[in-house]
Amino acid sequence: MTKALKINKNSEQGVLELLKFLLESGKVKGVFTLKKISKDGAVAYSLITKSDELKDAVPLFPLMPVNAGKLLSRFTLRGETTEPVAAVVKPCELRAFMELVKREQGSLENIFVVSSTCGGVYPLKMAVDGSIDKNLSKYWDAVKKAEIPTNLRSACKGCGEFKPYAADMTVDLISKNDIDKQCLIFLNTEKGMEFAKGMKAEFLEKELDKGKLDKFRSKREAEKKKLFDEIETKMNGMDGLIEIFGKCIGCHGCMRVCPICYCKLCEFESPDCEYKPSNYEMELKRRGGLRVPPDTIYYQLGRLTHIGISCVGCGSCEDVCPVDIPLSIIFKKVGESVQKMFDYIPGKSIEEKIPLITFEKEEFAEVED
Amino acid sequence: MSISEPDLKNKGAIISAKLGTKQAIIDILEKAMDKGIFDAVLIPMRVPAGDSFAYVLIKDKSLLKEAFPLPPVMSVQGGHAVSSVTRLGKGKTKIAVVMRPCEIRATIELSKLGQTNLENITLISIDCPGVLPISDFLSDPKKSIKLFDDAVQKWDDKIMRPVCQICDKSSMITGDIHIGTLGAKKDSFFIISSSQKGNDVLDKLDIALKDSIDSWEAKVKIISEEKLKKRKKNLKELKSKIGGIDNLLDAFSQCINCHNCMRVCPICYCRLCYFDSDKVKHPSEDYLQRAESKGSIRFLPDTTLFQMGRMMHMSLSCVSCGACEDACPMSIPVAQIFSMVADDTQGLFDYVSGRSLDEPLPLVTYKEEELHEVEDAND
Amino acid sequence: MKKEEEFMPKILAFLCNWCSYAGADLAGTSRLKYPPSILPIRVMCSSRVDPLFIIKAYLAGADGVLVAGCHPGDCHYDKGNYYTRRRFAMLKKIFEELGLESDRLLLSWVSASEGTKYAKVATEFTEKIKKSGDNSVKKEIFL
Repeated sequence: MTKALKINKNSEQGVLELLKFLLESGKVKGVFTLKKISKDGAVAYSLITKSDELKDAVPLFPLMPVNAGKLLSRFTLRGETTEPVAAVVKPCELRAFMELVKREQGSLENIFVVSSTCGGVYPLKMAVDGSIDKNLSKYWDAVKKAEIPTNLRSACKGCGEFKPYAADMTVDLISKNDIDKQCLIFLNTEKGMEFAKGMKAEFLEKELDKGKLDKFRSKREAEKKKLFDEIETKMNGMDGLIEIFGKCIGCHGCMRVCPICYCKLCEFESPDCEYKPSNYEMELKRRGGLRVPPDTIYYQLGRLTHIGISCVGCGSCEDVCPVDIPLSIIFKKVGESVQKMFDYIPGKSIEEKIPLITFEKEEFAEVED
Repeated sequence: MSISEPDLKNKGAIISAKLGTKQAIIDILEKAMDKGIFDAVLIPMRVPAGDSFAYVLIKDKSLLKEAFPLPPVMSVQGGHAVSSVTRLGKGKTKIAVVMRPCEIRATIELSKLGQTNLENITLISIDCPGVLPISDFLSDPKKSIKLFDDAVQKWDDKIMRPVCQICDKSSMITGDIHIGTLGAKKDSFFIISSSQKGNDVLDKLDIALKDSIDSWEAKVKIISEEKLKKRKKNLKELKSKIGGIDNLLDAFSQCINCHNCMRVCPICYCRLCYFDSDKVKHPSEDYLQRAESKGSIRFLPDTTLFQMGRMMHMSLSCVSCGACEDACPMSIPVAQIFSMVADDTQGLFDYVSGRSLDEPLPLVTYKEEELHEVEDAND
Repeated sequence: MKKEEEFMPKILAFLCNWCSYAGADLAGTSRLKYPPSILPIRVMCSSRVDPLFIIKAYLAGADGVLVAGCHPGDCHYDKGNYYTRRRFAMLKKIFEELGLESDRLLLSWVSASEGTKYAKVATEFTEKIKKSGDNSVKKEIFL
């Protein structure tokens, strides 16, 4: 039996109560969570050190302005934090952070992770026109009933990895139907129990309701299948790829917000991808014409091979795409297909090696001549 | 008679375009390729899915019939396209580039920044009615193309991007040849040359610059003045809305640091932006310390620093093309803000970005006696 | 005349310095006959081949791409070719997922003493590519 913490407040208030306790008891020096930062309600990740600043915090707000894994990496890139910091992140953000830690782009040391079973988030576009606030009650109604809220990002609609793997605490949002009255936080690790000690709340012995989670998962899987089937009809060879990516404007926003793409200078922005006039002349001779700047397809295929193995399907790429290319589904579908080859779930465990830096002596004989 | 005589400076050629301006432009380009005046043409084409447009460097003339000289969207700023072909040298191919005036201006700025080589390039601009916001266009490409065509007929900018609606340089000639559609009689347009290179090309094409362009100039003047008036009004409103640190922070509060604006900006040519470099990656203690001094900080911090830094770095060359705003996933009015700032910074040096290749960039030159107003009066 | 019209594919071959390149060399010095379709590029180890190289070659219009290295267990750098195999398997999978012609990619192990095997691989792969025909990507404009 896992220990759990019961707070008789709605889930968001419960989490805030916990964060307040952590800050005020000095168990953590800072809290990393979503917060309203402007008068018109813009929500951004913030690092909070004074508990009265928590009044504007919205830890469970259904939006991912930036994948927090990328932010935690930035926070700990120059070395682990010497002061403990609690971070409230979504499961895919946690998995992204783990993948980055594996790539030596951050450190888990002194980061106390609070995650949740995740109901998904809305597209960034809805943050722009302010429609998330209008949809909030509908969102929580759906989550309460373990349903998929309408208008979610497609990456979230079809996400089967809504339960965090390596969080110290997990806020249960999916398998409870009274999240508006009660906040249940599971203490998964010793650190989790340690940090909860002293909090004025009820301590229970409890498990996540596996049956309910499974039921929810099958809803998500059904949705995923639909999305995958739809994209599969379009991803048919080079013509299909050109149809899909033809409208790409080459902003590389997908790469820049991708939590896995950590390179300081991307290959596709490096001198390797700048061409001499003689290169163009050669291509012109052969093709009669060439799109410029070139390398639209090369960039997308290249990114698939570089990050597909670790793609956590967070959907940030699609969220920032100014021309609405269904990147999240393409990357998720291709990503999952290669991850399956190695039985790898990116970010599940810090011990598991990234498949491309390890090997077995006897494998994949089928790809050899 | 030589066409480069000075008294012919305000003259152009009236070209008959029974099959439409687009077809006539394509015909001229094809003829120029036949005559070996150009080896290739850089011009927008519709992408195979039909849902956008892309610059294509065309050598095979048969592709020209698919060309789209004035597409309804700016998917890639033309300056980028020219730079990607000529950044590493001039090559042997003589290329005609057909772009909007702001794209030509960006190309000229890039040339001053050493990022394009214009030696074998002939820049051809067209009177620009503006472009649609890319998101509007994508919501229904087919319908948008029709809406755009109608708007061009009436020269009505209501559906264009906000920054295009206040562009007073939409007919500015800074390249070699300009195609003027304003003030022309039905089924015709003007061809105007503005450089020796342009004269030579038209000479070889047997296009004589003997017609008056007064009606074009008159129409352009009216439109530019109207737009300038609107520009001043809109930018004044914008300034009152975003002026002051609190408003400025609010304006950029939705920014998610994707740096799309920087990537699509034709002027931001740095391979590795300062704001993506190690300089902006700090130890965790620094972040915590900053948070403690205020109770909390947004993470990542320094969004406004990035925006203001970019203003410092590129506003003197900003051509107000609007690519940044198109690419912003959070719909921040970056182009309008940058355009406003650019007016002021360029005004300081009486500089207009992309106006002329001969004007040096203001920050790489100086006058001994200038700008005393920013000095301490006691000195 | 008929012979001239026949399609001769262009196959880019990344050959590891220690085994496969030497194998190719041996095939040559042994005067073994194989088609002139192979354009070899010597790399120090098959694991030097970033999947990007293969993609780039494919998009540039190579009709086939061959990656050849030492047999598993015989890598000059101990285990480079094991990584190669994983990457190659992954790349093939991605090609399949996207509906691209993964048959145009081949991974083969050829040791320094296997001149005959090299000639055989070159011949058979060429024959296979001949059947697949021209890589149509070489004519694409909107890449």
